[in-house]
Amino acid sequence: MLSIIITLIFSVILASVLGIALGYFKVKFNVEKDPRVAELEGILPGVNCGGCGYPGCSGYAEALAKGIAPVNLCSPGGKSVSDAIAATLGVNAVSTEPVVAMLLCQGTKDVAKDRGTYVGIKTCRGAKISAGGTKTCAYGCAGFGDCVAVCQFDALTMGSDGLPHVDYLKCTGCGMCVQECPQQLFVLVPKSRKGSLVLCSNRTTAKASVIKACKTGCIKCEACVRACPEHCISMVNGIPVTDYSKCTSCGICVEKCPTKCYQLIQKTIPQI
Amino acid sequence: MNLIKIFLSAFLIDNIVLMKFLALCPFVGMSTDVNKSIGMGLAVTFVTVLATSVTYPLYYLVLVPFNLKFLQILVFILVIASLVQLVEFFLKKNVPGLYASMGIYLTLITTNCAILGVTFNNISYKFNFIEAIVYATGTALGFMLALVLMAGIRERLRSSPVPKFLQGTPIIFAATSLLAVAFMGFANLIK
Repeated sequence: MLSIIITLIFSVILASVLGIALGYFKVKFNVEKDPRVAELEGILPGVNCGGCGYPGCSGYAEALAKGIAPVNLCSPGGKSVSDAIAATLGVNAVSTEPVVAMLLCQGTKDVAKDRGTYVGIKTCRGAKISAGGTKTCAYGCAGFGDCVAVCQFDALTMGSDGLPHVDYLKCTGCGMCVQECPQQLFVLVPKSRKGSLVLCSNRTTAKASVIKACKTGCIKCEACVRACPEHCISMVNGIPVTDYSKCTSCGICVEKCPTKCYQLIQKTIPQI
Repeated sequence: MNLIKIFLSAFLIDNIVLMKFLALCPFVGMSTDVNKSIGMGLAVTFVTVLATSVTYPLYYLVLVPFNLKFLQILVFILVIASLVQLVEFFLKKNVPGLYASMGIYLTLITTNCAILGVTFNNISYKFNFIEAIVYATGTALGFMLALVLMAGIRERLRSSPVPKFLQGTPIIFAATSLLAVAFMGFANLIK
């Protein structure tokens, strides 16, 4: 009986001493936290995609509260989030144009030949490092879906044709796939952009090697440059580039291209 | 000489993870990459030594005189948990840099069984205070060694063709058991 009472007394004393000590030190060592950080974290989507350049949404929230980050970096959240952040911080929102990621490669299994049988690590980066890619075209998509794995929004799926397909309604333009792709095949394109875009990233100037590697590669014939009535296409680093301030979406380059590299952006991305 | 013996036996021969099979949860959870495992190992080392230096006198100065040895588990868990909380408050306020690198691990190890195991072993092996501290350091560093080794193995595992039914945690336990067999080689290191 005595030992039960002693145990009881001892436990109560121990618990209260520890409890009071912890409570005291919690107040004593209290760190003032900026209340806006929690509020901003609530506004941000919380997907931690890292598209803003900060480590996760809480990192961006802290940078915002300190006033060192612009309010429009969150592309998944889009305009509604940047407006809400601006309202919280009491600054004017700068409108951002929504962008989506486009794949600049049409080298499906049927049109672009494999260099051989690749047996190494089944990731695009592994293939790039060990064998320089899997296709005869050194610039082509390796097709292991590193971009699909990194996409936080389920916007990318690996097609049976060996290329990733972008769901433009789900894509938020966070740019994770752009950073991840070892061949740098993705570009961010404003959703509202109109004009033509060449869907090939082969930058070799040797025409014969492109013809050998891929049926839909840009063979540097420059037919598009000559055909364009607005003279808005020029060759940059071996790839035709359109000047969107002049392009009228006439579609002549799309028709003239012998390997069907060209496409009008407004036909690919659904316009809302 | 005796201290070196205690340290080596805690560090290698009776490695807490690979020979005693304690602290397997943080071992599997935190050995995903080398930097993380070093951070966790340092935090565990710090807390183990601290817990030993608090629980050891508490046992001999309070529990033994009042004849309350049977309360050992309850008291040790309570004291260790609140100690870790206190250290966390302190670091957050005074050493924010260290808190940022160690803070998330600190909360994880409040009820780490390796730490509780060390404090119990200190009593049951009848160590004196210095020996207890050396034993705690050795055990915690042994934990860190196992964690870093496992992190290295897991980096290789990630790019290896693992059969589907073994993917994830099962292959890690299989690798751990092989590592434990390797550690059995240390058994006769000290005569």
